[in-house]
Amino acid sequence: MKDIFDCRLLIVDDEPELRKMVKDILLREGYLRVLTAANCAQARQLFQTEQPDAVILDVMLPDGDGFLLMREFRSSSSVPVLFLSARDEDENRLLGLGLGADDYITKPFLPRELILRLRAVLTRTYFPITSKNEGKPIFHLGAAEVDLNTGIVATPTDQFTLTAKEYVLLEKLFENFGRIVTGDSLCRAAWGDNLYGYENTLMVHIRRLREKIEPVPSHPRYLITVRGLGYKLCDGEIEK
Amino acid sequence: MKSMLKILTRYVFSAAGIALILLMLNLTLLLVWFIQTSKNDIREFSTAEVASELTKENGDYLMSDRGKEAINQFYQWAMLLDEKSGKVIWSEKLPTDVPREYTISDVASFSRWYLKDYPVYVWRRSDGLFVVGAAKDSMWKHGVEFPSDQFEKTITWFPLTVIINLIAALLLALILGFRLFNSLRPIFKGIDDLVLKKPVEIATSGILGDLANKLNQTSEQLQQQETALQRRDNARTTWIAGISHDIRTPLTMMMGYASQLEDNPNLSSDERQQAGIIRRQAERIKKLVNNLNLASKLEYEMQPLKLEKIDPAELVRNLVAGFLNNGLDDRYSIHLNVEGDNHKAFVQADKELLGRAVNNLIENSIQHNPDGCNILVTLRADAGHCLIIISDNGKGLPGDVLNNQGAFNALSAIPSHGLGLMLVQQIVKAHGGAVEMKNLPLAGCQINLRLSTQ
Repeated sequence: MKDIFDCRLLIVDDEPELRKMVKDILLREGYLRVLTAANCAQARQLFQTEQPDAVILDVMLPDGDGFLLMREFRSSSSVPVLFLSARDEDENRLLGLGLGADDYITKPFLPRELILRLRAVLTRTYFPITSKNEGKPIFHLGAAEVDLNTGIVATPTDQFTLTAKEYVLLEKLFENFGRIVTGDSLCRAAWGDNLYGYENTLMVHIRRLREKIEPVPSHPRYLITVRGLGYKLCDGEIEK
Repeated sequence: MKSMLKILTRYVFSAAGIALILLMLNLTLLLVWFIQTSKNDIREFSTAEVASELTKENGDYLMSDRGKEAINQFYQWAMLLDEKSGKVIWSEKLPTDVPREYTISDVASFSRWYLKDYPVYVWRRSDGLFVVGAAKDSMWKHGVEFPSDQFEKTITWFPLTVIINLIAALLLALILGFRLFNSLRPIFKGIDDLVLKKPVEIATSGILGDLANKLNQTSEQLQQQETALQRRDNARTTWIAGISHDIRTPLTMMMGYASQLEDNPNLSSDERQQAGIIRRQAERIKKLVNNLNLASKLEYEMQPLKLEKIDPAELVRNLVAGFLNNGLDDRYSIHLNVEGDNHKAFVQADKELLGRAVNNLIENSIQHNPDGCNILVTLRADAGHCLIIISDNGKGLPGDVLNNQGAFNALSAIPSHGLGLMLVQQIVKAHGGAVEMKNLPLAGCQINLRLSTQ
């Protein structure tokens, strides 16, 4: 298996048109081997003969329950399963039973959503080492270079080492680059609690972080305050 | 049972009271009657007076006119007996059946009882015994005798008798009351059970059997109605769940293909935009279906709340950040204002559902103001309450929504402003809170979600 597109995928859904659509979406995306089954019996047979690398499974099937079918598959293999569910109740069952489903999507969904989730499941299952080898990212904020492997910020004139908390905050902000990260999420990442009681602490840490990454810390360009909500890491373009 | 004891106590006291009142009333009446009759008995002319009207002049007895009239009016006849011989020496209208001569024993007898059935009264004069007779059967005449010491005792006994009577009345009332209490007890229990919607089955024997029977029937009918209602609610929820399930599959395909067309480089930009509209509308239907499903479950209490202690400030920060992060159109702006220290106010809430309520309101503001608006989310502490206020400067709420506020009856009357608002109502209600809606004087509307804090 060279990459995830080599994976053999099995789609189990009783609706032929939906089956066809999902298959088309996956083929168009570049997956090479996509199999379909309309019910549990067919799925079992294909599972035996073809040994798929991942299963996209509808919860409600004409001759059985998707959850039970997964349990059957799991008894002989650790194939990842992505559920398609058409009922809100299924979500509770999925979460409550701890069936070990790899992910689930509630119908109706957008093709993009399915592709992203499937890719995540496949990467996690079959190519986990590759992503680890890539190491932590190194990124630039203007002239400053941040290396999350070493926790060092290098500016043309100076070099700083991030403290543990500063590192956690910056990593969290970088993971959500360009998006607002609420004070609560930052505090949960750094102190395991929500913002209440940490307002000043967070502010102090952000100020210190700015002193290391911002050219003019009193006029931040990269680590922006979003009043009342939290902070945002951005590429320094002047926003409206 | 408490109310029953009260009934019993009142019953006993009122019964005893009635008995006592009757006793006193009777005694009083008896006394009045006695006084009245003895008053009547005092005639205008007593025997003595009549006797004094008889005078002796020149050896002849003469009754004055006044005396005669008195005899006529109040008696029937009169006579004077000679003191020694016992012979009649004067008489007036003396009936023939009355003897003309009497012995001492005769006198003793009639003075006490009757003379030939005539009730007679005697008066002793210096010259003899004056006797007047009344009509036969007009008087009941017997001497009354009473030992004088007994009479004195009666005066002390009388209050005691009243007290004994009172106690006896109380005891009797108590015994009867207890019997009533005992026979009423199952009925009371039945009514209690009825209130608690428990099935009622009381023994239908005894004086209250009819009542018990009716109660049993009522209970049975209530139970039947309850099951019927439950079944209907279940059916409705299941039906809505089924519909929403069935809608999801075709919707998936609509969204899937529309989305593919939208991304298809071979199509013109107009066509791709049209596909985008289909996709967005399908997403709207998806939201509607989800709301409808949740609304029906909340309405029939089939959605258990996953209550936990949450910080509403964190909730609204996350929601607002989510809207901003998902790329809010330039026409809209959204701001958050957490007032003062009120984010200390924790609430007991289902994070998911409460978030959905706030989300729905923000989405409503966006959806109903296509020309854009500024949305402000405010969090305010207010004496034991936490207010999440969503306001905008858009078109405002239509009149029927404002009129209906707080009175949406899910599924029977879906308000024109969409299911979203109804769902907000239901979610907040399920949290024991309240929704207040109003239009702002200049422009836009304000919706307050009021939740009690811990």
